[in-house]
Amino acid sequence: MNSTISVSEFDSGNIRRVKKVQEFLDKNELDMSPDIEVFVTIKDEDDMIACGGLAGKVLKCIAVDNNRRGQGLILKVVTHLLNAALVRDRKELFLFSTPKNIEFFRDCGFRLIEECDDEIILMENTKNLESYQKKLTSLKKDGDVIGTIVMNANPFTLGHRYLVEEASKRSDWLHLFVVREDASEFKFADRIELIKKGISNLKNVTLHEGSDYIISKATFPTYFIKDKGQVNELHAKLDLNVFRNQLASFLGITHRFVGTEPYCKVTNNYNKNMKKILEDPSGKTAPIEVVEIDRIEFAEQPISASRVRALLKENNYEELESIVPPSTYEFLMKGVQDDK
Amino acid sequence: MINSAHAGTLESSDVYIQINPIEEDIVEIELHSSVAELYDDMIEELIRDTLKEMGVTGINVHVQDKGALDFVIKARLQAAVFRACGTVPSWEEQS
Repeated sequence: MNSTISVSEFDSGNIRRVKKVQEFLDKNELDMSPDIEVFVTIKDEDDMIACGGLAGKVLKCIAVDNNRRGQGLILKVVTHLLNAALVRDRKELFLFSTPKNIEFFRDCGFRLIEECDDEIILMENTKNLESYQKKLTSLKKDGDVIGTIVMNANPFTLGHRYLVEEASKRSDWLHLFVVREDASEFKFADRIELIKKGISNLKNVTLHEGSDYIISKATFPTYFIKDKGQVNELHAKLDLNVFRNQLASFLGITHRFVGTEPYCKVTNNYNKNMKKILEDPSGKTAPIEVVEIDRIEFAEQPISASRVRALLKENNYEELESIVPPSTYEFLMKGVQDDK
Repeated sequence: MINSAHAGTLESSDVYIQINPIEEDIVEIELHSSVAELYDDMIEELIRDTLKEMGVTGINVHVQDKGALDFVIKARLQAAVFRACGTVPSWEEQS
């Protein structure tokens, strides 16, 4: 073993060293991820020869210098990343990398979740996907049209209710997934409760708590930093592939319903990719038809959750009341009272 | 045993061992080894014996082995258990 090799670990606050990682990733044609908290680098004297990062429970940006491959450096990096994750009490981990590394990571105890466009892979070190799929299989319903919606509902508006009602009318059964990640203004527990209240009159709907496999920080990190406009198209495609091949096929889903997206660039782009990927007849699982449903309007403006949040800030409760269901209004007003 | 802990590396000829406390009073072993075809029974026996010597149960052991020799596996496991208990071993008693 070469004695000039040194390993170091530092956090993202170390701007000078992060910049060096950035340069190294550029050289290896990998993108830096803005959500990394901990970096691991391996140096031979002063030259960086390998690096990796930990963002939440995801290992990413793992790269080894072209001339130093085949020396097991990648295993050294993963060891240190695993240690960094475990001391932070994160045991259920994911990783992003490129397909040529699948075997290395298999040897580190990771299993493949999905591969996309020969460019990106997502793996996990647990059997959680398998148990999730078993659970989904047990919730499967029969019918010709099995619809699905994935929503964040931040918070639940009349627009969401219209979308769910329309989809429910057009489906024999509807599976409604709620994005689980607590990265929005409203907490997951509140968001799902408001949906539950808002759709209680519909009889053919199963409300699912989201998971790491549906628009989560694991499968689709850029969704949660969309304000910065950093859209990673590959992650969007990966998320959709996971949805089609690893989840929808276990529920026998035939249609996915979405609202048209007039404002948000990320969501709009995601919807475009959705058509392309879910409807592709050459995929390894049954294609899913994407149905766009026009948003309903109030005062000639489409109703959206972002509008609700804006009205809340402006204290415009009158207009607010006319674009959310009573249950959501009551909840929001309670929040306003508590703040005072 | 109260905490989770780990020891070792994923590099060749070493082993990465991760242990977690579990409710049940048993020893649960999840073994992945590059030499599993030849030695998986031996490795499992070694792990069970080592834990018995140390008087540890109610434990889940995750082993990612890269062809480590038996004393390496034993040492890594002991290190992980000591870390999980937060105790300093008296080395005379460990052989």
